[in-house]
Amino acid sequence: MEKNKGKSWQVLIILIVLLGISLLLSAAVGAVKITPYEIFDILTKGADTVNASILMDIRLPRVLLAAVIGAGLAAVGGVMQSIFKNPLVDSYTLGMSSGAALGAVISIITGINASIMGFDTTGLFAFIGAVCTLFFVYSLAYTRSRMSINSLLLAGVAVSYFLASVISFLMMLNHDKIEHIVFWTMGSLSMATWDEFYISSFFIIPSLMVLFYYTRELNILVMGEDAAHHLGINTAALKNILLITCALIVGTVVSTGGTIAFLGLVAPHIIRLVVGSDNKKVIPYSALLGAILLVLSDTAGRVLIQPAEIPVGVMTSIMGGPFFIFLLRKQKMK
Amino acid sequence: MDYQIQVENLSFSYDLKKVLEQIDMKITKGSLFCIVGPNGSGKSTLLKVISSALKPKKGVVYLENRNINNIKGKALAQLLSFVPQNTSLEFDFKVSDVVLMGRYPYVNKLRGETKEDIDIAEMAMQYTNTTHLKERNFMELSGGERQRVILAQALAQEPEVLILDEPVSHLDLQHQVEILNLIKRMCVDKKLTAITVLHDLNMASAYSDYIVMMKEGAVRYQGTPYDTLTASNIKEIFNTDVYVSVSPVGNKPYIYALARTKIEKKGIRVHIICGGGSGSEIIGKLHSEGFDLSSGVLTIGDLDWKISKENDVQIAEEVPFVGISEEAYKKNRELAVNADIVLLTGLYFGKSNIKNLELLLEEGLRSKPLLILGDESFEERDYTGGTAIQLYEKIKDRDKVILSEGRVLSEEILKAVDAYGEK
Repeated sequence: MEKNKGKSWQVLIILIVLLGISLLLSAAVGAVKITPYEIFDILTKGADTVNASILMDIRLPRVLLAAVIGAGLAAVGGVMQSIFKNPLVDSYTLGMSSGAALGAVISIITGINASIMGFDTTGLFAFIGAVCTLFFVYSLAYTRSRMSINSLLLAGVAVSYFLASVISFLMMLNHDKIEHIVFWTMGSLSMATWDEFYISSFFIIPSLMVLFYYTRELNILVMGEDAAHHLGINTAALKNILLITCALIVGTVVSTGGTIAFLGLVAPHIIRLVVGSDNKKVIPYSALLGAILLVLSDTAGRVLIQPAEIPVGVMTSIMGGPFFIFLLRKQKMK
Repeated sequence: MDYQIQVENLSFSYDLKKVLEQIDMKITKGSLFCIVGPNGSGKSTLLKVISSALKPKKGVVYLENRNINNIKGKALAQLLSFVPQNTSLEFDFKVSDVVLMGRYPYVNKLRGETKEDIDIAEMAMQYTNTTHLKERNFMELSGGERQRVILAQALAQEPEVLILDEPVSHLDLQHQVEILNLIKRMCVDKKLTAITVLHDLNMASAYSDYIVMMKEGAVRYQGTPYDTLTASNIKEIFNTDVYVSVSPVGNKPYIYALARTKIEKKGIRVHIICGGGSGSEIIGKLHSEGFDLSSGVLTIGDLDWKISKENDVQIAEEVPFVGISEEAYKKNRELAVNADIVLLTGLYFGKSNIKNLELLLEEGLRSKPLLILGDESFEERDYTGGTAIQLYEKIKDRDKVILSEGRVLSEEILKAVDAYGEK
């Protein structure tokens, strides 16, 4: 036990260092290169150069937003996998992301994307879309007081497709807003602003704290709901709290960055390979790894085919898709 | 009277389907209480209601005189733990982590597990003999080991009551016995009350202090294994014919299922000369394959006699210790003459049953096919001082004698009847 504890501390330190490096790297590279030295200078002393405004107005909010969103998505993936006891579940495979995207699209085309007290209603619509889809998919899979994980995944995929075609249909009808909508469905951080970063952090960081708070219960939930009940956990209440928190994170992510696939699948899986399945470590470490991966994916998307940009959602899908198939095959072999 | 658990007038239904009806039970502290009954009789539902995982529609479950539905969450978990049929984890945990989960009802969320919690978990592992598995992953373990780990988790919960739903159904014999021994020991050492569903009636008989027999959602019989596990009760509950005797170990009822597959009769009568257990297996086998059987001469109470009785075999019988009377000999001859083939099993010969050999030399039986088992060991089985072997040599010189090793007995019988038979 002691040995493992030591190892998991090392993993934590490595993750934090990696996050620092990737944030720095991401801030440094791009159409204009800014040396780490210069970044340090700008951050501490402040400056009035072009590089300073590129860093402070464009890159930094984007990089930090990627980190917060990545952390949120990865933690949500880890939590949902434990709740549903299946490594293939995440906000994307259960249709939550598509639901959130549809909510956002509806808010855009109906034009009710006004700000109410500083909060964007698009975010609210995305949240509602995520929650509704989640509970709809959940109720599809839940028959006669039993839930089959296969029907959950199938229902998730089916609903995802359905919602995606509704979005396409809405795009067809609203040619003028097509560019804006495509942005949601592909997932992109190119429009990041400090406001978006603040609002996302405002919702995501407390939600992450809620998820971290329940990691002990999440471990027990893996033993099965009956077992959890007999250990004194109110499973229905716990699941509701966790799922609504997850929906809040997903809604926030989608409303700022669009649908970003597979991150919630990949990050927790890699962490489990290294530190085992204990959610007390898996959830926070996944959040860190998710932040690192999304910052790096976004940076890669930014610099690979300059001056054009690959949307970050496309980047994560290109990398995550094959990984998902690998997981699926591995599970089959079991 | 001070009962730890009292179930009063309990009813439960899923939607409109009644699953449990008016159940009353009283369970004493430290007893191993077993529920038996056919599939779908409501046993598992009853366990779920007793453990408050389901709310009864009517009636109350009292745990130490408190309505169990008024004891909530962690407080209940400190009194009662549950062991399911089998546990499998999609995400793997170390055995020590799984056992430590049993401390959840006691752990302060912000402080985490204390030294005391860890010590209690270690003790639970020692008790269930799982300490050596501590660092292993739960899913790498065998079914029996996993079930021991789950028992350790339940023990770490320090409950008063342990509820088990078919805890050994998936295990092989060794692990069934191991787990049930462990549960029994927990009842005795730790004054734990165990309520369990078991499928194997003999296991239930051997381990339980008290048995409840359920059918169609109602308790039909309850009491000690002796009171409940009778052939007529089992016939009523399980719709199965059994033979109940007393287990030579433990002095508890022991139930034999009478395997009576309905096989088309072959229309061939086999007369079996046996005794002392030499014919038991053969009688059972041939009977189940559809042969008509007779046997003789058997002393009343002999194992072959018992088996013959249970399998509807016609018997030439004799009271013990008198040898073979003229009457029994005649009956035996009559049965043999009317059979299509005679079978001589590997029985021992002494003064009292030598006449069974003499019979085979009679004129009336000369034309009958005769199948002999255990030819090579005849000399060892002769306790007449040589008379039997002399008779035996003469018998072997007869026509229509086949020596058999008994491996494909029924085929050999059919072949012999075909070749030598009178039909």
